[in-house]
Amino acid sequence: MMLGRNERGLARRTGMKTFHQVLLFTGWMFWVQPLLAEETSNGGMRTRTGLQVLYAFDSIEGNILRDSSGNPEPVDLQIFDAKSLRQSAEGLEILGPTLLQSANPPRRLLKAIEEAGGMTIEAWILPANRQQTGPARIVTFSKNSSERNFTLGQDKDAFEVRVRTPKTSTNGLPGISAKASSRPSTGWTHVVYTCNRQGQAKLFLNGTLEQELALGAGPSNWDATLLLGVGNELSRDRPWLGRLRLLAIYSRALAPEEIARNFQAGRELNPPSPKELLARSQRDNALLFETRIAPLLSRHCLECHDAATQVGGLDLSRMLKSLPPAKQKAVWIAGDTRKSLLWQLVANNEMPRDRPPLSEADKQSLREWIDGGAVWSLDVIDPAVYQHGSGSDKVYLQRLTVPEYIETVRATLGVEIAEEAERLLPRDVRADGFSNTAYNLTVDLAHVEAYARLAEIVVGRTDVQALSRKYTKSRELTDENITKVIKPLGRQLLRGPVHSDEITWYCGVSTSVAGAGGSFEEAIGYVLEAMLQSPRFLYRIEHHAGTGEARTLNAFELASRLSYALWGAPPDEALLQAAEREELDRAGVARQVQRMLQDPRAAARSRQFLSEWLNLSGLSTLRPDEKKFPDWNPALARDMQQETLACFDEIVWKQQLPLSQLLHASFTYVTPRLARHYGLPMTSALKQARDDELVRYDLTDVPSRGGLLTQGSVLTKGGDEASMVTRGLFLLHELLRGVVRDPPPCVDTSPIPSQPGLTQRMVSERRLANQGCAGCHVKFEPLAFAFERYDGLGTYHDRDGFGNSLREDGHVLFPGEEQAVQFRTAAELMQLLADSPRVQESFTWKVAQFSLGRPLDAADASVIVEIHRESQSQGGTYTSLMTALLTSDLTLMTRTESNLAAP
Amino acid sequence: MPERKISRRTMLQGVGAVTIGLPLLEEMLTTRACGAPQVNIPMRAFNVFFGLGIPAPLQQEGFEGVLEPLLPLRDKLMILRGVDQIRCDRPGINAHYDGATGAFTAEPPDGEAKAGGASIDQMIRKTHYPQGMPPHLVPTLVAGTFFRRSRVGRYVHSYNADGTVAAAMQESPRDLFERVFGTVAVSGDESDLRRKRLKRSVLDAVVDQYRHFTGETSPLGATSRARVADHLERIREYEQRAFALERDPNGPPLPPESRVVRGGEADPGGEGIDITLEDLTTEWRLLADLYALAIQTDRARYGALTFLAAGERIRLKGKYEYAGRTVFEFDDSAQRGASGSNGCSHEWWHAFDEKKRNEQLRAHAHLKMREVAYFLQKLASQECLEANGKTILENSLITISTESGDGRHNDVKRELSGIFHAVSGANGRIKTGDILDLGAEGIDVYNTLLTAVGVSRRLGPATREHQPVEALRT
Repeated sequence: MMLGRNERGLARRTGMKTFHQVLLFTGWMFWVQPLLAEETSNGGMRTRTGLQVLYAFDSIEGNILRDSSGNPEPVDLQIFDAKSLRQSAEGLEILGPTLLQSANPPRRLLKAIEEAGGMTIEAWILPANRQQTGPARIVTFSKNSSERNFTLGQDKDAFEVRVRTPKTSTNGLPGISAKASSRPSTGWTHVVYTCNRQGQAKLFLNGTLEQELALGAGPSNWDATLLLGVGNELSRDRPWLGRLRLLAIYSRALAPEEIARNFQAGRELNPPSPKELLARSQRDNALLFETRIAPLLSRHCLECHDAATQVGGLDLSRMLKSLPPAKQKAVWIAGDTRKSLLWQLVANNEMPRDRPPLSEADKQSLREWIDGGAVWSLDVIDPAVYQHGSGSDKVYLQRLTVPEYIETVRATLGVEIAEEAERLLPRDVRADGFSNTAYNLTVDLAHVEAYARLAEIVVGRTDVQALSRKYTKSRELTDENITKVIKPLGRQLLRGPVHSDEITWYCGVSTSVAGAGGSFEEAIGYVLEAMLQSPRFLYRIEHHAGTGEARTLNAFELASRLSYALWGAPPDEALLQAAEREELDRAGVARQVQRMLQDPRAAARSRQFLSEWLNLSGLSTLRPDEKKFPDWNPALARDMQQETLACFDEIVWKQQLPLSQLLHASFTYVTPRLARHYGLPMTSALKQARDDELVRYDLTDVPSRGGLLTQGSVLTKGGDEASMVTRGLFLLHELLRGVVRDPPPCVDTSPIPSQPGLTQRMVSERRLANQGCAGCHVKFEPLAFAFERYDGLGTYHDRDGFGNSLREDGHVLFPGEEQAVQFRTAAELMQLLADSPRVQESFTWKVAQFSLGRPLDAADASVIVEIHRESQSQGGTYTSLMTALLTSDLTLMTRTESNLAAP
Repeated sequence: MPERKISRRTMLQGVGAVTIGLPLLEEMLTTRACGAPQVNIPMRAFNVFFGLGIPAPLQQEGFEGVLEPLLPLRDKLMILRGVDQIRCDRPGINAHYDGATGAFTAEPPDGEAKAGGASIDQMIRKTHYPQGMPPHLVPTLVAGTFFRRSRVGRYVHSYNADGTVAAAMQESPRDLFERVFGTVAVSGDESDLRRKRLKRSVLDAVVDQYRHFTGETSPLGATSRARVADHLERIREYEQRAFALERDPNGPPLPPESRVVRGGEADPGGEGIDITLEDLTTEWRLLADLYALAIQTDRARYGALTFLAAGERIRLKGKYEYAGRTVFEFDDSAQRGASGSNGCSHEWWHAFDEKKRNEQLRAHAHLKMREVAYFLQKLASQECLEANGKTILENSLITISTESGDGRHNDVKRELSGIFHAVSGANGRIKTGDILDLGAEGIDVYNTLLTAVGVSRRLGPATREHQPVEALRT
């Protein structure tokens, strides 16, 4: 029954994509699904009306049994000990003790049944023997042997069902049972249990009513924390062995005639019609294209065959639109690889040229796609989307970064620990452009030492007596009294309710203090130290064990996500209360975000984003060549940093302008020292200011300056030589999200210095005239033409050191576009960039990456498009972007890993 | 009772006038080789990386050329030429980084700070210690002297199975010293036993919480559980140091602060730094001494050591002497006639031309071999003799590699072909004493090494057919 590794990988990715499609249409499906169910209920067919969960036992992927009901929030089951299972045409055989269990409580199922007040359990069952007792659990919605919503089990030769109602016990007693022995002992049994709103329970075997019981009330008081399991009790102490062929749960009591019809329909589900088969095949092929083929083309083909390069006139980023129909057909023939030129060249390793050939797995995918119909379901293939894969199957929890640790201590205890934390904690290393990238937030001994020492310092600075008095006036050092402090204190520090195990552990600390003759305050101090080193304090814990699909965050997880994304700090009291009151639905989140955006920490967090994105801290280590720049003053680096932050503050927070205005502002902030360095005319305000005092500077009459790209913080990225390659690449990567590859063969990459009659622009143009270089360099180097007049430290010159005249005109090629757009001046380029949808979208991608703490990948792309669209419709400001992002599924949900995946 | 002695001499010989404070650790009381024949030899695996590589044509000169410093160790090493890492190329990423991240993993990088999979040392560690290392051992020791730091893969060379770094980099001798030999003061007054006991109870509560999140009922997925398990392993180590080890009150003080620049200052905008040969080698040798001592005292069995990063940018100055002769007078900036990044030794690799003398590149490569050999010699001394009569170098699997087989950025295939490798004998499991022209892929070389030391799992795609390199096996 186990799938191969590649198949499992594809299945996971496919599932991820499917999930995102479901996300987009969840609302639609919720309302329309009952109508669809009615449609399929006709003669000879199985009824689907009210169907909530369906296991056909023919859709096991890896270690997951899929719910094939087609409903949103499918209740997939994880398989523990897959060796005990065997899958065949005869269904699923449970050979030894195991458990198939839902990762989370199936709340949709519970809600549907409670709202309807009725239910049906239907299954085709073949027990392995007649000695199993307990009853042995065939299907159960429960926690352990005494707490359940329902259970269908086998007790020797009888099937027994227990259901919780207001009139039965939490164990579902009294139950209802019927002997299977009255039926042929060697065959399968069709078992159906129904219970209506009035509590009339019936048990049918093989289409015949066998037993009835009046429970007095239908299901309406179920426990929302319980899990769905198959083959065993959730506590794993009531195993059942045998075969299952079909298991369905409905949110209504099926009528006897429906039960009879289902029995007559047999153990097989309705076979799909030819039309359905074709549609399914098209969907599968489109999915294959989006998850495997588009990344493959992006990785291996678009270097030479994108819209800009089109070697041989072929653009593979779009659906062959650049070729005449006859030629299009020659590239590939849908359904026939043998006649497809693309396939022949790839299969013979003739393409990609001068690059390693495609792997066998990639070739297989390509072949499968062409033979399956070559469905092209995207407008355009954007290589940036695939840079980080199609959807990672690894989900990392987020450790607090150093600034987050400092802010968390400050917010929860009011203690200032910045100086010590920055000294003792190891620096968080940048990865993929940001230092909060979760996969890179590892821990070492130095962290553990620092956390212990910092906890001690924090407790030393906390007025423990005053803190504990908020929760109890008693100074008695008893578990009961200390718990009065542990619970509310833990709620703040651990960002959610404190569990009973945790109370036990913390009480263990206070007991040690009591045993040592210590005081109540001393005990609280040590408990606080333990909390400050807890994984729930140092990490943002989210429930990642699951099916590999995404899940909705619980209220406290979501509260932490919101507060750290927006403030870099823990939830405040209002947010915690909203979580406790279950108010964090999409509208509730929107309300919280509006409130939280008014807090100064939102602005501070946005400045952190900017600093990380532009790596402003790198300015502090700028060491320009003293011979080339004898007038350089290290204080200028700080001024440049402050200039960029001050401009950002004004645009984003004071004026609330669109983020794109960062590129084209008509003002800046400079110190007198920086103004001199830039060569700006001295205004009266500057003349009166201290040399290190920032002053707002109107650039209306200074055409050479305006926007981030003309600030020293960005211009210094080209190094002492103001490298056009480095500057161009920076713009390409950070603003245009463009992708380029290594230099092609036979090119000397040594920088060529300027000389009389040879400017860097000319050197660059030589590269662009070289066919070997132009393919990639044309995508980024002309961007830097606009900045030739700024030297390596951002000072503006009309001529270089050799007296050569410098230019600022050029052209920009936006990724995915065929034609470059001309600009005459740097200011024109700035305007072009500010107006570019691609650049505006890049802000969205960057802010989202920083907020989520991970690089975005193809599985995020469709949600990001929606976020961007929503943000732009609200003005394209930072606050509109954060609102759209934090109310999106990217924030409200989390990816999960299969419980059984190896680390 | 066998006679025991504290073996710090190895290190103290190396540091000259520098004195180092060592705690009195049980692990430092090594048992003499003679008279202890029954002692098991622990499995150890370390990756030693040096930046920028040796062009394949220069490797062909054997010990007559830049490999000369390895000559005294020739019996204890197998030199491997013709090892290809082309599969590590990741389009769109600098080949320095590809090759460096592929060294010891045979996989292309997976993100800016991630390798494509586990490194050799971690594969072996996980096989021999599936439940984690004993708390008295540093689980993985990663250290190096380097300056270029734009991407982690340039200087870290030990990776977990998910490609994340296996341990934090110890950048200076002082950091390394603290990581390996430091003890933790849990109380302002160490004689305050009551306070120490209460601190212990705090730690117990902390451990319980981490165990919960790594246990069966953890809400975390496998990846995050592994991350928390790593954290718990470090807490165990902390616990050991805080409550079980004592610092030698008569020990000399910590190593001095580094004389070379660190952090962002070491890589100012990718422009490179000026450094003298003396400063560079003093820093490196102090680090290498400490790393070797960590192995010798059995504080570390797995990890990686780096001498200069991939694509390193330094402008070196100073007279380079070897075996009583002057090999070269380094002055990169002047010899390049340039400042900034263009004046760095890195450029000699870009300008390599096998028809020319490549004098500067040769001298730099020779120097790298001298410094790698310096570290290896520390594990091959008489003090490192173990119960089986072999030295630690001979008993360990030490793999030496670099990023490229040709520094010219103009042909990925050529750049990632013929990458220099050398390996030690792993207690007789790997052949030594020769130079082999393999013409094999790095992935097959690494998997052959893993098989030889009893690791059944393999690096690379599961579907790929392993092609064992029999010439390596004894």
